Amino acid sequence: MRLSRILALSAVSGASLLLLAACGSQNKRHLARSQTLHWVESADLPTMDPSKSTDVVSGGALHNVDEGLLRIGQGSQLRPGVAKTYQVSKNGKTWTFDLRHSKWSNGRPVTAADFVYGWRRTVKPSTASQFAYLYDHVKNYDAIHKGKRAPTQLGVKAHGPYQLVVTLSRPQSYFKYLVAAQAFLPQSRQTVERYGTKYATNSSDAVYNGPFKLTGWQGTNDNWTLQRNRRYWNAKQTKLRAVKVQVIKNQGTWLSQYQSGKVDELMTDGTQYRQLKKSPEMHIRNSASMFYLEFNQRQGFFKNNVDARKAVALAIDQPALTKNILADGSQAPKGLVPTQLAKRGGTDFADAAYVKSGTTYDLQQARVLWKKALQQSGRSRITLNILADDTPVGKKTTEFIQSQLTKLPGLKITITNVPFNVRLSRSATGAFNMVVSAWIADFPDAISFSSLFTSHNAYNRGHWQNQGYDTDVQNAEGKDANDPDARWNDLVSAEKILMQQQGVVPLYQRSQAQMLKPYVHGVQYFPTGAQWDFSRAYISDHQ
Amino acid sequence: MAKYLLKRIFYLLLTLFIVITVTFFLMKLLPGTPLQNQQKLSPTEQHLILKQYGLTKPVWQQYLTYVAGVFHGNFGTSFQFSDQPVSYLISSRIGPSLLLGTQAMILGVIPGILVGALGAIKKNTWVDTSMTVISILGISIPSFVLAVLLQYFVGLKLQWFPIADWGGFAYTVLPTIALAASPFADTARFTRTEMVDVLNSDYIELARAKGLSKWGVIYHHALRNSLIPVVTIIGPLAVNIMTGSMVIENIFSIPGIGEQFVKSILTNDYPTIMAVTIVYSVMLMVVLLITDIVYGIIDPRIRISGKSN
Repeated sequence: MRLSRILALSAVSGASLLLLAACGSQNKRHLARSQTLHWVESADLPTMDPSKSTDVVSGGALHNVDEGLLRIGQGSQLRPGVAKTYQVSKNGKTWTFDLRHSKWSNGRPVTAADFVYGWRRTVKPSTASQFAYLYDHVKNYDAIHKGKRAPTQLGVKAHGPYQLVVTLSRPQSYFKYLVAAQAFLPQSRQTVERYGTKYATNSSDAVYNGPFKLTGWQGTNDNWTLQRNRRYWNAKQTKLRAVKVQVIKNQGTWLSQYQSGKVDELMTDGTQYRQLKKSPEMHIRNSASMFYLEFNQRQGFFKNNVDARKAVALAIDQPALTKNILADGSQAPKGLVPTQLAKRGGTDFADAAYVKSGTTYDLQQARVLWKKALQQSGRSRITLNILADDTPVGKKTTEFIQSQLTKLPGLKITITNVPFNVRLSRSATGAFNMVVSAWIADFPDAISFSSLFTSHNAYNRGHWQNQGYDTDVQNAEGKDANDPDARWNDLVSAEKILMQQQGVVPLYQRSQAQMLKPYVHGVQYFPTGAQWDFSRAYISDHQ
Repeated sequence: MAKYLLKRIFYLLLTLFIVITVTFFLMKLLPGTPLQNQQKLSPTEQHLILKQYGLTKPVWQQYLTYVAGVFHGNFGTSFQFSDQPVSYLISSRIGPSLLLGTQAMILGVIPGILVGALGAIKKNTWVDTSMTVISILGISIPSFVLAVLLQYFVGLKLQWFPIADWGGFAYTVLPTIALAASPFADTARFTRTEMVDVLNSDYIELARAKGLSKWGVIYHHALRNSLIPVVTIIGPLAVNIMTGSMVIENIFSIPGIGEQFVKSILTNDYPTIMAVTIVYSVMLMVVLLITDIVYGIIDPRIRISGKSN
């Protein structure tokens, strides 16, 4: 599957934020005279409209030129954004944000009304936002989105210019991450109405309230600049004068540009990664995406056959898949929830919920369990099919799994590689034995994965069902929603059940391998959503 | 001539109409939508977005709307760039492509003719042999390989010209050379073969016998006559440059329509794919039309008129 299509925007990750090279260094390096960073995107910038942004390029640009109520800080901490402080009511349904006095790049004040306007615009059916569903916990979202109520009925109100009150229909502990995402950015009514359909289709027909402002983008060209925004409330923290972004779609060209020093970073492809992985300039960026194998448990062989599912899991050698077959920096998984997605008290969720048998390779044990599984179903041999995407990576993955699973006695594996849409529709209708699926978190909380495998979730393609799992997830979203410790334990327990019962088999966590010039410091990476934050970045003297 | 032209233009429009129709229905057969995040959208949300793009109407209605739009210069809205009309996307990107194509055409054809002619005049000397070697290399090395070699040696190692990007004449040099290599080789080879034939013909002997100077004979009689077949290959050369530009623009990060075409295919941006296909077809048909007209100008025998019947 082409990940960029689902990578998309979403909440900026607080968890597992990596501070790059500057991390750990106490001494301030000497700043270079030229504070211009040369960045590269491999795709065009399709829009700057917060309501319409769906891709990583616009998500990243918006994150740096605009600011929502909160902003992600170092570690898993949310930093204050336009909101100085916020309070959540006891029942978890009312969120009150107190806003600071800050300004748009045209000098007008950023007020609570800008948030109300922007949010209503995003959920309004005629805007056709592809990320409006992130509002599904906000009061009246469903009715508004279906056109049954007016957008003014949305559960968000301005109390004076500097207080915003949000009413949710049910508690949502991770709402704080959502308000840092692009779909929740403020929008100036005056600007949107002034430019009409041209709004945010080029850099001058928009206003900005973030650390940078966008210049030099005519809507379709391959170059643009993030210029320091002097009107940003925290402008004195911004060290970079500009980030010049260039689109390079050819990997070879990108490498040459990096080597010649024309650009400061390079996202390597598999071949380049293998050549450059020893370089001190190489950094692995884990993304919050997981590829996993789902079993069809609606009917047929895998239904109620936990031994069969466990045997498949034990027969797949994930480290071999990531190291030898994919070899692009991707990581072997510990469970379904990716590493560095969510942390609590210094513990990574993936470590807390680790179940050894869920992702380890043990062919001997696999064979034993497989024989038992065959006996249980009263067969001596069986042919099963694996459905997956027809991308190069999809094909490599299925061929590898096929070679691994044929080592199980009496099992013949066939593979079907189809286009993305076809895979989705076949998964949805249950037309598969096993399918390689993928998911990317919209926000840095384990629930973005855990909610997938409750009994009635539409993305639970295989219809795996477990009472205990459902209860845990329900508690995390319900009675424990405002108790961080209990909620964490609920989700850890759910993940353990999923792995012990082998509801799915995690295959690999997608990662990108990035080369970064040693004089670039403080660029922050997020595994979900916007990916890059330049507000604290700087360039050290390297002449 | 006027009647001929009108007839040609009529056929041109007819062809264009067929191209539009075929592309439209081919695109409808493909499984692409403007939905970027399909997996996470509810059916209601999907329907809402498709409606915005007019994709919920029956296909024949979409077709009529599209054809009517095209003849008014409206190619719809891009799936990839939100709210961006495809016509703007193309008009803002066609400049670099035209510039590059024209430069490559000039750099390929004119030196090609000169070198080819020189090879024929100096037949079987070292000049001829080296010309043959160069043109064989030009034909056999694909433009994208040449592009990467130029980037590495001339751009990265020698640092004479920028490796990629767009922003002034210096940026056009490497991509122009990469694009021009194959037209250059084709023209040179073609001119040489024709010139050798012409130089052996009776009327050249006659011209020489009349006492014209060597270069006078070559310029007035030999070159002009050998160019007639060369003009026929300009059409295919233009096609060559257009298709080559898709790869070359991608390699050199040039904001042209070739690069956009590739990108649109990868992102299932069907309105843009259709529009670029139509633009390419128009460009090609115009080039062919011009070739035919030029053909008539240099060779009076080929001039088509109503009198031939």
